[in-house]
Formats: sequence, C-alpha cells, structure tokens
Amino acid sequence: MPPRLNFWSACRALTTRTHTFAPRLLVRPATQTRGWADKATSGFPPSGSGAPPPLPPNDAGNQQPAFTSPENEEALTQLRMIEYGVTSLDPAVDGHKYGMPDRFIPPAKQVKKRYDSVVAQVTRLMMQDGKLAKAQRDMAMILNYLRTSPPPRLDPSRPLLPGSPPPNHLPLDPTLYLTLAIDSVAPLVRIRGYKGMAGGGRSFDVPMPLELRQRRRTAFKWILDVARKKQSRGSGRTMFPHRVAEEIVSVVEGRSSVWDKRLLAHKLGTANRANLIQAQRKKLI
Amino acid sequence: MPVPNSLRCLVRPSTGLPVSIPRTAASLGVPSAGLLGTPLLAAASFSTTSSRSEGASGIAKNHHRGGKKTFTVKKKAFVLERGKSPLPGERKAYRKRIILSNDNALAVPWLTDLGPAELSNENNVARVMGIPEEVQDQLRASEAFKTTQCWRMFRKPAVLVRKETVDLTRRMDRAAQNNEMLRLVVTGDKVAGKSLMLLQAMTHAFLNDWVVIHIPEAQELTTACTEYAPIPNTDPLQYMQPVYALKLIQAIKKANEKVLSKTFTRNAHPHLPQNIPANTPLLTLANVAKESEAAWPVFQSLWAELTAQGVARPPILLSIDGLAHMMKISDYRTPAFDLIHSHDLALVRLFANAFGGGLKLPAGGAVIGATSRSNAPRCPSLELAVSRREVEQRIEASSKAAGSGSGAETTATATEEVPQRDPYFRGYDDRVEAVLRSVEVLRVGAIDKNEARAVMEYWAASGMFRSVVDTKTVTEKWTLGGNGVLGEMERASLLSMRM
Repeated sequence: MPPRLNFWSACRALTTRTHTFAPRLLVRPATQTRGWADKATSGFPPSGSGAPPPLPPNDAGNQQPAFTSPENEEALTQLRMIEYGVTSLDPAVDGHKYGMPDRFIPPAKQVKKRYDSVVAQVTRLMMQDGKLAKAQRDMAMILNYLRTSPPPRLDPSRPLLPGSPPPNHLPLDPTLYLTLAIDSVAPLVRIRGYKGMAGGGRSFDVPMPLELRQRRRTAFKWILDVARKKQSRGSGRTMFPHRVAEEIVSVVEGRSSVWDKRLLAHKLGTANRANLIQAQRKKLI
Repeated sequence: MPVPNSLRCLVRPSTGLPVSIPRTAASLGVPSAGLLGTPLLAAASFSTTSSRSEGASGIAKNHHRGGKKTFTVKKKAFVLERGKSPLPGERKAYRKRIILSNDNALAVPWLTDLGPAELSNENNVARVMGIPEEVQDQLRASEAFKTTQCWRMFRKPAVLVRKETVDLTRRMDRAAQNNEMLRLVVTGDKVAGKSLMLLQAMTHAFLNDWVVIHIPEAQELTTACTEYAPIPNTDPLQYMQPVYALKLIQAIKKANEKVLSKTFTRNAHPHLPQNIPANTPLLTLANVAKESEAAWPVFQSLWAELTAQGVARPPILLSIDGLAHMMKISDYRTPAFDLIHSHDLALVRLFANAFGGGLKLPAGGAVIGATSRSNAPRCPSLELAVSRREVEQRIEASSKAAGSGSGAETTATATEEVPQRDPYFRGYDDRVEAVLRSVEVLRVGAIDKNEARAVMEYWAASGMFRSVVDTKTVTEKWTLGGNGVLGEMERASLLSMRM
C-alpha cells in the first residue's frame, strides 16, 4: 500500500540535525595493508592523527613505495596490468605450484558414480530390504546373461528406439542392451488424476510428461512386475536375475506384455489430452 | 422360538442337565437320572483332566445342537498363474548344466590348442591356450568342468598356463617315466584355481594317453546320498557304493574310450554277467556294467586289470576334488548304527590307499586331490598334515640348496618348526594323518602380473573385458583381486556390473 500523503507524513520528511557529525574513521588503502606471509613488520603504515594517507605508489614517482620486495613488486605490476586491461595473470599457471586440479572428476573416478547411470538406477529398483550388494550381484548376473544369450530377433511391429545398433552388436555391450530395452518401452506420459474434480465424484485425469529417469523407472518397474510373476526354470540364486534378463530379451524381441502396458498408458494419455486445457484453466498445472 | 429351546441356550453343558425335557414333563414323572437316586447336578463334577471330562463329554454330546452355523466368507488363497512348472529333475538339470561356449564372444585369433607337451613347457607360462575338442569331451564326461567357472563366457574353453601348472605336469611326467606314483595334494586360497589345476592335470593326462579316474565331488561318496552295501568277506568290513560305481564306470568308459580300447585284459573274468575272456579290450569289460547290481564286481575287475603287473598298461591319474570330505567320518551307518569312517568305503579306500603310498601302478601314475575352501567340512588332521608337509618341503628344499652351496637362505628356513598336534585338542584322526604323512603339497597361489596380463588380454580379445589392457588396468585388477587371486580378478572384471 502506498504511504498516505497527508500533512504528517510531509512533516516526517523534514529532518533537522541537533548535534554535530561523528568523526569519520580513516579508510586506508587495502593494497597497502596487504603483505606477504613472511614479512615481519605490520602492514599498517604509521598513522598520525589527521595526517593524510600515503598515496598509492604509482602516482608519485619520487616517493618511495611503502613495502618493497620482489614478490610485492610483481604483484603490484600485475595489478597495474589488470588496471590497464591486460590480463597478464594466468590462474592455471601463476600462483599454483602444481597447476589447478581438473574441474570435473571423470565418472570412472567417482566412487558414487562408478556405474553406468541406467545400471545404477535400475539396480536400486531391484533392491529389496535395503540389500544393495545383493541387487548389484543380481545386476551383474543379468548383464552376464545378456551377453551370453544369442542376439535378439527384432520384431518390426515393435520398433525399438530410432538409431539403435543392429541386434548382433547388443550382446557384447550388455549395458547398451539393457538401456535400449528400458528406453524403448518407457512411457512418455503418465495420468495424473485429480480426485473429484471432474464433477460427480469422478476424477479428472490429466496426462503429464515424464522426466527421463521417471520414464526409465516406470518401464523397469513393469519389467520387474512381469519377472516376479514368471515361473523360474531352475533353482538357486541365479533364478531371479535370469527371469529379469529373459524379460529384457523378450522386450527387445517384442514378445513382452510390457509393450501393451506402454500402449495402454499412451492411449490413456491421448484420450485425456483435452483435459490439459481444462487443467490449465483450473490452474492445476 | 419356543421357550424350552431358548432356555437351553443359558444352560452350561458341564452340568449334564437334560434341559430338553420340559419342566412340565419332569413334573409328570418321566423317568430321569434323578429318579434313580443320584442327584442330577452331581452327574458330572467339574474337571479339567481328560479321563474325567471324557465321561462328562458323553453327556455333553447329547447336548450338542445342530443348527444354523455362522456364515463366514473364506478368503481365497492367492494363486499366481504361472503356467506349467518344470518336471522333477528339470530344475536341477538347468542349474547344473555346463555351457562351454558363447557364440557372442569373439574368436581369439592367436589362441592355439594344447598339445601333449605344451602344459609342461616352461615357455608357455603366462600364455592362454585352448583345450582341444576331444579333450573337452573327455573332460566333460568326467565332470571336470564346474558351473561356478566362467566357461560360458568365451568362444571355447581355454586355460592359463601357470608356473604351478608346469610344476605339476612335470612332476606327473617324471612319475610316469620312473613308473612311480605321484601323490599330491593341491591346496590354496579361496578361488585361487585349485579345481582348475586339477583340470589342467587331467587335460595333460588325457593328452598323454593316461587313464583318468576322476571323482568330481568327494562329498557325493561320503554324505550318505548314494546307496551302499557291505562287501562280504572283508576285514575290517568295507562298503561298496554300487550306484556311484556304475556312474563312475560309465564316466571312465566315456572319457578314456581311446586308451581302454587299446588295452587288453590279462585274465578271464567269468564271474561277471557277461563272460570276458583274456585278451579282450578293457572297453568291453567296462561295457558289461549296465546295471548297478553288477557295477561293483565290474569295477573291481577293471581296476584289477588296470593295475595288473607285467603287461603294457597306461599310466593312471586318480583325481579327486573336495578332499576334506574324503578325510572325515562319513554319514553312513553300520548295521549297529555306528558311523562308518570314510576310509572304510571301498571307493574312498582306493584313493586313500593311493595317497598313503600303498598302491603300485605298473606304468606309474598320479593321485591328486584338491582341497576346497568353500564346501569343506572342518578337518583338523588334513589341515595339520598339509601345513606340516609344506614346512617339511621347505626345509628339504633349503637343505638341498645348502648342499649346493648357497648357505645364507638356509638358516632362515631351517629355524622353521614343523607344526605339531595341539595337545589339548581331541578332533584329530589318526587314519587321515597316516594317509597324508608323505604326500607332496602344491600350493596354488596368486598369479603374477605377467600371467594377469596374459589372461586379461584373452578376456579383452574375447570381447568380455571392455577396456584397454595396459599396465595400469592390469595392476588395478590385480590389486582388486587380492593381489592376483585369479578368481577374485575374474569377479572384479568379468562378473561385475561395471563393464
């Protein structure tokens, strides 16, 4: 609210000073107080009361600069060059004995990011009861299954991602195989239902786009659902990873029921696409 | 609802009061228990003991009323539709199947097959060499490959020739030349390659026309999972295992077909189901065992023929994996329900006898046992014997070196003490120690960086290891694998999810 314009506000603007100004503190040039670590004396020049502060060394040629040492000289020269607009200072070289460290540590060197991003995400989705090591062992078995299984026979009616490598290249790069399977069946949208917003207690379904990680998560959850319900052919600890791997192969070959789920999700999304405008009007999105 | 029925609801059953009789009827003189002189309410006193309450329940039975029961909806058990389940035995077959090739893996161009003298050639150390096709079949027939090994990753089975391999195969060759028996225990850390050392010994034997008798898991003999029967007229009483013997004969027959067909019987064997005259190929003799009833006599005849003196016989390799299972008291029982010592089982006794030095083979041979670190019962006598023999071997070697002149090193090992029994421990087994008193011990250790490099180059050439193989990578994996434990290196680079 704007301040009210009236007489009292105008009076408040008129100020009078009833006592004198406080004496101002002397501000010394920062360049002069700065010193090198091995310098014995204090950085502050002797300050007499009321004496004018010493001038910076560059503007009076006859006056001796306050502190002279070769390093200081060099530093001051560099400052002057910067003042002239010449960047003589290379931060990667000057002032560092061993140069600057690399800005970004490559992923292979980071403990937390040593695995491929899809593999890491998917492994954590497989985890049960917080047993990450078991999930990792399962993932290793899945990848090994993929690279020992014969090249997939693709189904033209279920096209994979455009630009995917030929099928006989897939088994030798199991990470790519897994990524391709997951990304190919990943849905683009999900349905967000607003309860009771459509009138008559019906929910108001609005399609929402999914982020990349969300898409992968949904797809792999579907794959896991199918794999968990499958019957295993053998016994032992390799069975669960083998079932997941079989499902991944069947996704790439177009036999999996996960494709139907994806189709259903997309159908729902297209059927409800008109609700997007409504949702914008209702300021839901 | 009629009144008497409603009343009946309020009466406790333990009183035994026939309430269905209406009060009016009772008053009219209908005969009841009360009229016979016993008070009605004292018919059944309260009791929780079963004998007393049984009489009471007889009365209570009459009291039971069949009426409308409460209708409860039973929850249906969740049944997962999973299609046809595998038939009995299929699961195990799936779990135990051995896959020896991976068509996706790239063929390694420089991989050469092993020849008869390759494994004992020093120049082949730190080289990966392929196993020839026919030897693969022989090894498969004698169950030398295991599911835990990574054969299924590569185009064809190949082995790394190690220093220990050359050492072992040379000892085998020497034994065969001198018509002696090499008695050797292969030991080492977990996943160091003990079973593979056994496999290499078998490969060498197959390539040099030995007869190989291999027991893939000693536990199959001693954990009471196969049939057994006492052998009559043996003292101490021994036991045969006919079903296992049949399986073993078939494995021997399949693996050593070539050698057995060139070896002929010396004596006739009329007591077998099929008459075997002298000068018949041993393969025919082995073929006689069709059923488990005849298996044990056939095995005995076969063994007698193989060890017959004075005729041309091939050298024999007896190999057994999981030695600790053979060196314990078995899970079998005598008729008096005492536990049977493993060395009283005839098949195991044959091996124990060979380890103990009581077996003389006509053309020499070897008996090699590999210990296991993952599936092994605790066997203090075996551990003691192995460690004792290791120290004794070191002392012998150092005394030999002293004899040849270098005296500086000898003082260090000569001070080493041979391990002795713990006097406060009872779990030692005299029979086991007697058997292992004079065996040689071969410790399979870590591989060095040259060998590591060779095996990693093979992995990379097969397309299974997707990284540049340089000194840095080799050192990295070598370190990750516990300073060169081959199985751990494999885990770190092939079986990891980082590829």
